[in-house]
Amino acid sequence: MIEISTLSKTYGAQTVLNIEQLHIPAGQTFGLVGNNGAGKTTLFSLMLDLISPTSGTVTNNEVIVQNSEDWKTHTAAFLDESFLIGYLTPEEYFTFIGGLRGIKKEDVSIALEAYTDFFHGEVLGQKKYIRDLSKGNQKKVGIVGTLLSNTPVVILDEPFANLDPTTQIRLKNLLKEQASASGKTFLISSHDLQHITDVCDRIVVLHQGKIVRDEVTSPDTLKELEGFFSEQL
Amino acid sequence: MLSHFLFLQWKSFVRGAGFATGLAQKIILGFGWVYFAFVFTGLAFIGFYYAQDELGEDPLVFLSGNLIYGVVFWVILRYFLQKMPAVHVQPLLALPVSKKSIVRYGLSKTVLSFFNLSNLFFFVPFGIILFREEYNPLGVLGWWIAVGSLILATNFLNIMLNSVDRILIVVAALLAGLFALQYFEIINLAVWTAPLFMAPYKQPLWGLIPFGLLVLLYRWSFAHFRNKLFLDSDAMRPKKETHRVADLNWLDRFGRIAIFLRNDIRLIVRNKRARVSVWMGFAFLLYGLFFMNDIYSSPVWMVFVGIFVSGGFLFGFGQYVPSWDSSYYPLMMTQNIPYKEYLTSKWWLVVVGTLAGMILSSFYVFFGWETYLAILAGGVYNIGINAYLVLLSGAYTRTPIDLTSTKNAFGDKKSFNLKSLLLSIPKILLPMFVFYVGVLVHSKGVGIAFVALVGILGFAFRNLVFGWIEKIYQQEKYQTLLAYKQKNA
Repeated sequence: MIEISTLSKTYGAQTVLNIEQLHIPAGQTFGLVGNNGAGKTTLFSLMLDLISPTSGTVTNNEVIVQNSEDWKTHTAAFLDESFLIGYLTPEEYFTFIGGLRGIKKEDVSIALEAYTDFFHGEVLGQKKYIRDLSKGNQKKVGIVGTLLSNTPVVILDEPFANLDPTTQIRLKNLLKEQASASGKTFLISSHDLQHITDVCDRIVVLHQGKIVRDEVTSPDTLKELEGFFSEQL
Repeated sequence: MLSHFLFLQWKSFVRGAGFATGLAQKIILGFGWVYFAFVFTGLAFIGFYYAQDELGEDPLVFLSGNLIYGVVFWVILRYFLQKMPAVHVQPLLALPVSKKSIVRYGLSKTVLSFFNLSNLFFFVPFGIILFREEYNPLGVLGWWIAVGSLILATNFLNIMLNSVDRILIVVAALLAGLFALQYFEIINLAVWTAPLFMAPYKQPLWGLIPFGLLVLLYRWSFAHFRNKLFLDSDAMRPKKETHRVADLNWLDRFGRIAIFLRNDIRLIVRNKRARVSVWMGFAFLLYGLFFMNDIYSSPVWMVFVGIFVSGGFLFGFGQYVPSWDSSYYPLMMTQNIPYKEYLTSKWWLVVVGTLAGMILSSFYVFFGWETYLAILAGGVYNIGINAYLVLLSGAYTRTPIDLTSTKNAFGDKKSFNLKSLLLSIPKILLPMFVFYVGVLVHSKGVGIAFVALVGILGFAFRNLVFGWIEKIYQQEKYQTLLAYKQKNA
């Protein structure tokens, strides 16, 4: 689904990302782990053509992201609050996103019912604008916005951060469900090793812009990762 | 303490997103300064001897007699053009900086504004001439103190006008009342106020009254901001507006563009800054009334008025087109939106706004069909050419607009300022030139037709121009995204 070759990003003399080769097959739940400054957000931003690479390309479903806008039709992403429109209510925001994806307003309402638990009664029907919601609730809106889009590729940057414990667990279940049922490709980054190993089929560790570990998740992965982060780095 | 603030100010200027454009603007503004310094100084000399030799009046009495108009004009000019000081307060609150010095710094920054200092170029030379012409030196000093205090007082009055709507309404009503009294010749303001302005010359102690007024206004604005420096005060926190429910379903007939139009309408309705820019558009509708006398004397103003009257929305809102979306630009860039569609929807919005202006300005028919036709031609030109220019300059403006700028006690709440006025100049001069060519060729009518024709031509090449603008937006995309990240620069 996603093919990365000789991708690098350099600011001045500092190379913040340098990936020789990375292939993410369709249907995989791909987890990205790394300390601050490892290059996680840079990688996602490059995949979304929000920054230009110093070298190399990202190919998303046979579309070279740097050359054509066609990848937008099958990719949805939520990186941070700049993906939210503050002066809309959550409902209006979902209708807007749905409209762009060709989903009718009524169908958006139906689809939202599946997320009632996730919202925990704090988001819908509040008559509040998104800018007046708490950080955690804003995050919920962003995540559901991307899931609602029903695209084959979903990119989420740190979806667990800022969420309360209950919602973190609900999000985990939600992602697992969607990944197994729909065959979507998920790309998720996180600082929470436990959550990410729970959710993802494959974990890639970035360190100083390079891939230092790449493995299929197994029952031992969490321990190994914990060992890795406490000793290696 | 001051050095710390200046350090922050310098850093935010140098590291700001628009540093390069900011610098270019500063240079242009620098030239502007030199220009105005010359003009004002010249005005002091010419004014003095003109009044003395040509009018045969005492220049000081003459100036004092007309000073009231100057003061009122200055207050209005300030309100529309002077930028409010922006101090990023939030990070300072928990630091060992006294709130008093934060406020003092914010207020004193305004004193260095063009609207204060430029007066020096007039009143200092004027005063020197008075000394040389052997006016009573003590009296001149008193007069100086009075006038200087009054100028600074309008500075602080303007700050209050900008921050408290109620004061704005009261002052606006007061000015309107004075205007009416003068207009209907019930009283003559100049005659009434002349002795007041002359009093400090005759008895310098009277100069203390305007000085007292200045102190009072300073204390007032100081207290106003001092009380607002809490995170939960209205000034720091965006007001939680009650949700205005509007489905705007009627927009659906416009197809896919409706999705964007709906957002833009909500943007305008729910954000003060955007709202103000639309009100400005309405104000522009009436703007032509000021020019009705000039139109007969020099027809070139017809087009000037035509462009402005129908283009209020275009200049107020359209000028900042991608910037309105700056806080969620990454979303727009990753959603299922081709650039062309995004630009088209913005273009439509500007076009609809301009059309509305053209219809609403139909009352200009009372000033003759020719006048209204000029406005219509200006509208066509706005749609055909200026709508593109606005989009085009938008690709390079890259000033992020913080829609929740009320978060900042000293936030700049206006979207219309000197800078946007500067950007508008080429959009007005070109059609004036086209019109002038038409007048040279034949007549005013042909000039109007020429302006409209250029507009229609521009409209006809829509697809070509859009493809071109789209490319520029694409080239500038990464730069724009980067610039919009720096919200408070």
